[in-house]
Amino acid sequence: MGTVYITQEDAFIGKVDERLNVKYEKKTILDVPLIKIDGLVVMGRASISPATIAELVNYKIPLTFLTNKGKYIARLEPEMSKNIFLRSAQWKAMGESTQAIHVSKGFVRGKLKNYRQSLLQAQRRYTELNLSAGITQLESAIANLAQATSIDSIRGLEGAGSAAYFSCFNQLIRVENFQFHTRNRRPPTDPVNSLLSLGYALLRHDVQGAINIVGFDPYLGYLHTERYGRPSLALDLMEEFRPVIVDAVVLAAINRRILVPTDFITEPVSNAVSLTKEGLHKFLRLYQEKKQTKFKHPVMQKQYTYQESFEIQARLLAKYLMGEIEKYPPLVMK
Amino acid sequence: MNNTEYIPIAALNQYAYCPHRCWRMFCAEEFIDNQYTIEGTSLHERVHTLGDSNREDTWQIRAIYLKSEKYQLIGKSDLIELENSEWYPIEYKQGLKGEWDNDELQVCAQALCLEEMTGKSVTTGYIYYAHSHQRQLVEISEELRQSAIATIKSVQNLLETGIMPTATYSKRCQGCSFYNQCLPQVAEKVRRYQEDI
Ligand code: SF4
Repeated sequence: MGTVYITQEDAFIGKVDERLNVKYEKKTILDVPLIKIDGLVVMGRASISPATIAELVNYKIPLTFLTNKGKYIARLEPEMSKNIFLRSAQWKAMGESTQAIHVSKGFVRGKLKNYRQSLLQAQRRYTELNLSAGITQLESAIANLAQATSIDSIRGLEGAGSAAYFSCFNQLIRVENFQFHTRNRRPPTDPVNSLLSLGYALLRHDVQGAINIVGFDPYLGYLHTERYGRPSLALDLMEEFRPVIVDAVVLAAINRRILVPTDFITEPVSNAVSLTKEGLHKFLRLYQEKKQTKFKHPVMQKQYTYQESFEIQARLLAKYLMGEIEKYPPLVMK
Repeated sequence: MNNTEYIPIAALNQYAYCPHRCWRMFCAEEFIDNQYTIEGTSLHERVHTLGDSNREDTWQIRAIYLKSEKYQLIGKSDLIELENSEWYPIEYKQGLKGEWDNDELQVCAQALCLEEMTGKSVTTGYIYYAHSHQRQLVEISEELRQSAIATIKSVQNLLETGIMPTATYSKRCQGCSFYNQCLPQVAEKVRRYQEDI
């Protein structure tokens, strides 16, 4: 079943025996056994009973609250593992340690290589596109990464590589009525940015869940600096997945005309753009489908779903920090 | 961990099966139920309903604490029998006789506790296999005692230092509930892996 998304405003989330039961205007709109759920995301205004919260903790199901536009609000994280040894290895590596530099390079290299891969694929498919400048810039960022000796320089290359990729992003959009200029957030003011932001919020819920299962402290990251209440490690580990999951889903939604301009609404004054309810459902379905898609994991040499690969990457990270493996291999797609 | 902490008897069995597994369960406190452990638990719940009863001339006591100061051991017995003033520890196991001999260590550790608690020597114990309803005799031989004592020392060391034993792939991994967390073959896979440029 995977993650359950509750999008109905004013829904009431309760439990009946060992089932999650969601009601709207006194009618049941969803009823699923808790053992089938591995995450719950509540979008917008809904209420949840204390007994349900207790049961989610009991079943170790993480709960994330987002606004109806996908902005992150809060998260309830059941305690998963008391692995103090992993946490201590995680803390020991903080700052500018060899390990922090190694894994930060890994996260960024994974992301940039996956960016490059999607540009290359698009270039092969649509010969009329001109993506070569972006590809060259990405390649030079990837090459320079190998020499980087500080977290700051890694961040700089990450910024340069991302800028190169997003300068090409508009060309990846194959339909007339959507456009992408630059990445904007808080709030996103065009449909493409609003989808990207929403997708990254959903991805964060999933990656943070995986990190927690493995026993990490999600608030101590390497590439993303600590800031109170920011799950830096989740943001770190998300990097390599952004292009593979979110960007791919956003482009598919637009290019396959699953989402059309009328699926979006623009708020007056702020110009914040978000999905209509109908549009949101379509997008969530696509995202969910993507997570269940299987692929051959390049290190494990076995089929996994993307959902499972979040945990695989988190375990590889743990093994590297614990000294069980000699390098952290980010997920690099072919 | 200091010297006043006791070693759970169950940890010996796990250590003998795989030191890394023992570390995950007792140091990292990762415990993930799978089908086997859940079945195992419910069997133990049944056995552990506290009480005593008489079976012919045998006095049976269920679910009491066993403890040894000498070996710093603590655990709960499934069943203890007293017959002709001889004590026998009996350990319940789900399923058939395992391929590995670690269950015998657990019986031996219980015997060590019983000896200290009763002041009498214990020469025999049993493993009861629920699946086949069969009791298997365990002779508390000198050899078994030595191997139990050596395992106690290793576990004590593990619990004190928390140093993680390496996960080494073996046939046992196939039946191990930690396989998906432990990924014992991954080190080799990472070593061989060549990232695309
Ligand atoms: S999978 Fe193998 S190495 Fe890992 S804990 Fe289990 S038995 Fe030990």
